[in-house]
Amino acid sequence: MPSWPAETKYISKNTLRIDAPEKVTGRARYSSDIQEKGWLYGMILRSKWPAAKIKSINLDKARQMPGIKAAVLSPAIEERQKNGADLTLRFYGEEIAAVAGTSKSACIDALKAIEVDVEPNDNFVVLEDDAKAPDAPRVWADAPNVGDSKPKETGDVDSAFGECAAVIEGFYTTPVQIHNPMETHGSTTSWTDAGVTCWSSTQGITSVKNGLAGALNLDHDKVRVITDFMGGGFGAKFNPGPHTVMAAKLSQAAKAPVRLMLTRFDQALAVGNRPSSFQKIKMGATADGMLHAFEFDNYGTAGIGGGAATGGGGSGVTLPAPYPTYKVPNTRVKQASVAINAGGATAFRAPAHPPGCYGFESAMDDLAVKLGVDPVEFRIKNAVTEIHKKEFKLGAEKFGWKDKYKKPGSSAGVVKTGVGCASAAWPAGGPNNKTQGEAQINPDGSIEFRLGVQDIGTGSKTVIAIIAADLLGLTPEQITVKVGDTNYPPGPGSGGSTTTASISPTIYDICTKALTQLQTQSGIADARGKNWKAACKKLGVSPLVVHGNWIEGLSTKPAYGVQFAEVDVDTDTGLVTVKKIVAIHDCGLIVNQITTESQINGGIIMGMGYALFEERVMDDLSGVVLNPNFETYKLATMGDIPEIEVTLLNMPERGVIGIGEPATVPTAAAIGNAVANAIGVRVYSLPITPAKVLAALGKVPKANSATT
Amino acid sequence: MKAFQYATAHSFDSARELVADNGMYLAGGNDTLGLLKEYLVSPNILVNIKSLPGLDKIERGSDSWKIGALVTVAQIENDPQIAKTFPGLQQAAAEVGSQQIRNVASVGGNLAQHSRCWYFRHRDTLCMKKGGDLCYARHGENRYHSLFTGNTCISPVVSNLATAFAALDAKAIVLRDGKETPMTMAKLYQGAWENPQSHNSLKPGDLIVRVEIPTARTSSAFIQMSDKQAFDWALVSCAAAANLSGGKLNSPRVAVGCISPVPWQVEAANQFLDGKELTDDVASQAADMILKGAEPHEHNGYKIPMAHALIRRTLLKLKG
Ligand SMILES: Cc1cc2nc3c(=O)[nH]c(=O)nc-3n(C[C@H](O)[C@H](O)[C@H](O)COP(=O)(O)OP(=O)(O)OC[C@H]3O[C@@H](n4cnc5c(N)ncnc54)[C@H](O)[C@@H]3O)c2cc1C
Repeated sequence: MPSWPAETKYISKNTLRIDAPEKVTGRARYSSDIQEKGWLYGMILRSKWPAAKIKSINLDKARQMPGIKAAVLSPAIEERQKNGADLTLRFYGEEIAAVAGTSKSACIDALKAIEVDVEPNDNFVVLEDDAKAPDAPRVWADAPNVGDSKPKETGDVDSAFGECAAVIEGFYTTPVQIHNPMETHGSTTSWTDAGVTCWSSTQGITSVKNGLAGALNLDHDKVRVITDFMGGGFGAKFNPGPHTVMAAKLSQAAKAPVRLMLTRFDQALAVGNRPSSFQKIKMGATADGMLHAFEFDNYGTAGIGGGAATGGGGSGVTLPAPYPTYKVPNTRVKQASVAINAGGATAFRAPAHPPGCYGFESAMDDLAVKLGVDPVEFRIKNAVTEIHKKEFKLGAEKFGWKDKYKKPGSSAGVVKTGVGCASAAWPAGGPNNKTQGEAQINPDGSIEFRLGVQDIGTGSKTVIAIIAADLLGLTPEQITVKVGDTNYPPGPGSGGSTTTASISPTIYDICTKALTQLQTQSGIADARGKNWKAACKKLGVSPLVVHGNWIEGLSTKPAYGVQFAEVDVDTDTGLVTVKKIVAIHDCGLIVNQITTESQINGGIIMGMGYALFEERVMDDLSGVVLNPNFETYKLATMGDIPEIEVTLLNMPERGVIGIGEPATVPTAAAIGNAVANAIGVRVYSLPITPAKVLAALGKVPKANSATT
Repeated sequence: MKAFQYATAHSFDSARELVADNGMYLAGGNDTLGLLKEYLVSPNILVNIKSLPGLDKIERGSDSWKIGALVTVAQIENDPQIAKTFPGLQQAAAEVGSQQIRNVASVGGNLAQHSRCWYFRHRDTLCMKKGGDLCYARHGENRYHSLFTGNTCISPVVSNLATAFAALDAKAIVLRDGKETPMTMAKLYQGAWENPQSHNSLKPGDLIVRVEIPTARTSSAFIQMSDKQAFDWALVSCAAAANLSGGKLNSPRVAVGCISPVPWQVEAANQFLDGKELTDDVASQAADMILKGAEPHEHNGYKIPMAHALIRRTLLKLKG
């Protein structure tokens, strides 16, 4: 079996991103920076109605507007029109058509000129509880809003509750979270006789290539997708989506490259999101502190659905329950998805885990309090894996849990301090075993790696350079890394926290093969390090090109982690201030310490936004998303970010595992528990706003019904 | 946005003439550009007022200070003398938006900014403020809205400066029909209290030229509470100003922001506080008086305890 070297110079150490200079100087060209010769702006017309039927649509006037070079229908509408089907719109923001023109303002004017005759349908529903009502308007005429929800049972939950020393019940809810990567969705797409080239902001160049070829009826070899630099995806950027398909069609019609990047407004409506959850939990433990019975009834919305637009993993509303860190022998779990007239869901950093963790870990704390036991000891007792137990112990020590944990609500004064913790168990994170790559070794000793993976900002290029440098006895600066092009050997999509575990063994394989071949060809027994140049020189004229695959034995899954939070809660104003997060995570062999810590910092900040700020707000009267901007869709900024202390457990013996997703899983639950510990009552709903804290404290007077 | 003309005015007369009935003044443009882009306003002309003489000055008199309408929020934030003389104003300025916004935002524009109600700001809802026949917020998502209003619209005033100016009893000097008309903050926003379609009492062509702040009150303070720690609008804000002598309040004024279309002031509370020693209890009684009669809606009842806390804290902050 292959194994990672015991002595390393770069692996498990700190290497700054090899592309950092390009990024900080602005030389890096992100997908949204691409300016192909003669490029046009592309822009999308979206539904202004939460539900409507298009009676007729005419693009001619738009096409005749000054500066406009092309206009096309959305793929879905074009398809339905072809089949003579109803042109039904099901949510505010659904794509209708797109235009391409020489300026943004020309496009905006042209969108206004598109003639759409619609019959608005006032029978729509945008709130989960409204959609569940038996007489609710149907989002899909041929199916009820509430999906099938047969309970799953283990053991005998009903009698098990009778055996419990303490039982708690709670209704824990989480909102729909909107995808807001720094770079919005989009591409520059050019369709010429030679085929389609698409500079896409994607986390899956191969899935975009295949999706685009399918949608455009082209052979796969006629589509090339390039992603040199991209500004984040978080699960929402695996597929071309209607915007890329329309960009291609606009390019074909206009005979020019079309750059179609979505706006922030678009982003809030139609690129997928994290579903909401409404979790009714009943949970009990026996007198010896062991979890014994668990009943779970959850519903949530994926808008009009997860559906075909879903890539990269579970986008549904089904949560991991009981949360897999723990084991409960007797369970009854019921989950249902509720359709509403709103944009559909898609994968979102650790799909299903942050809400699943929030519900279960909140219940864990509530139960620990009821049992009168320490929440950390309770968790250690019930954790399934030794790694989790170790992480809880280590975390408690680093955090100073023993000193900091007080009885809920017992901290003195108006501003109360509280602490809480939660865990992550990320079951995916395993490798994509079809990953391939190649290296070209030149006679002058320069070496270039080419992989059809993409670096979505996580530092994948640097991972390649680090591993190659250690295995070949070179420095990372000596390694040239090329990724983000479907002309290279196929790599994994960057999702499920699988990228590092997919590419690391592949680089290992390439390096081993390259060394063997180089040593044979050059006659130098050990071509590494100081012999490298001499060995390469012996290649003569022809470079050596070596192809490698992902190989067994160097990567694994899953990853775990725990986080501890300390908060201040102002009980007069309801303001929650997160003071400190201590995070303990493992992901097998740490390849690059510094970028791994960055993933965890980012995951915590995102999780904090989920805990305190983020929430898609729908208006039930108009059916619109009320906060399609950063003014009222609130994201954590610098001022909100607490002290973050990250400890990584390096476990080379396990091989490489991913980290991007587990890092964001436990944060909201830990903060929620810290708030409950501070004020002595639980806020059952994310985000934990001052309004909800004050309500939980019983300080909010009832609405004056005469005025509402 | 709809096409419009653009002109730079060099005199007050030409500014008035250019803007006519359907134009808009342009200062920093923070608000105006957003409104234009979302098709919420469609002026036929934008009149740049940044070249009007004298509007960018701060004049420090002994009885009152004059702050020109083009003075930026950042200037107020960073002026050490303002921090000393009107700490409440400095604190209010420091909390506005982000550094980038404060750098360009003008005093006049901050006072004349339009409603931030998310129904008003949404391109596809026709609410009352935009001439529709329904206040969506009243029936819908009203977490950011008013506890008091004189009409059906429940959009609150959100200008930080207005709240601070109200407590300092400052007056906006408005050039109306060629005449300088002083307006208290109460008067400046009376229009929004009465009329659902108004954001303030300014009429077409009215130009705020400066704000005059009496120096009579030597103590002032401002506190706001937001969901986030930075770069977020106030959910509720409060400003207070007074003279403190021998521990007693003299000519105190309290104003609360974001709970009404006008900076919310209750004269009876000011009178109650006058001559009193500042204690928790006194502050709390004043807060009761100020919030009496509040009409919470489904989602904004939290503003009552929050405002209560802020009123108490802001008053106590006067003690330094
Ligand atoms: C993201 C964001 C966050 C913000 N947060 C806050 C906040 O926390 N607190 C806060 O108080 N404000 C906040 N603001 C509002 C901001 O302070 C105002 O938009 C700004 O002060 C307006 O000033 P301006 O010079 O840019 O005005 P402009 O946009 O140029 O003008 C605004 C309006 O005032 C009119 N106007 C301008 N000058 C005059 C004048 N002299 N006389 C008469 N009318 C005039 C214009 O015609 C226009 O209607 C925020 C704004 C944004 C975009």
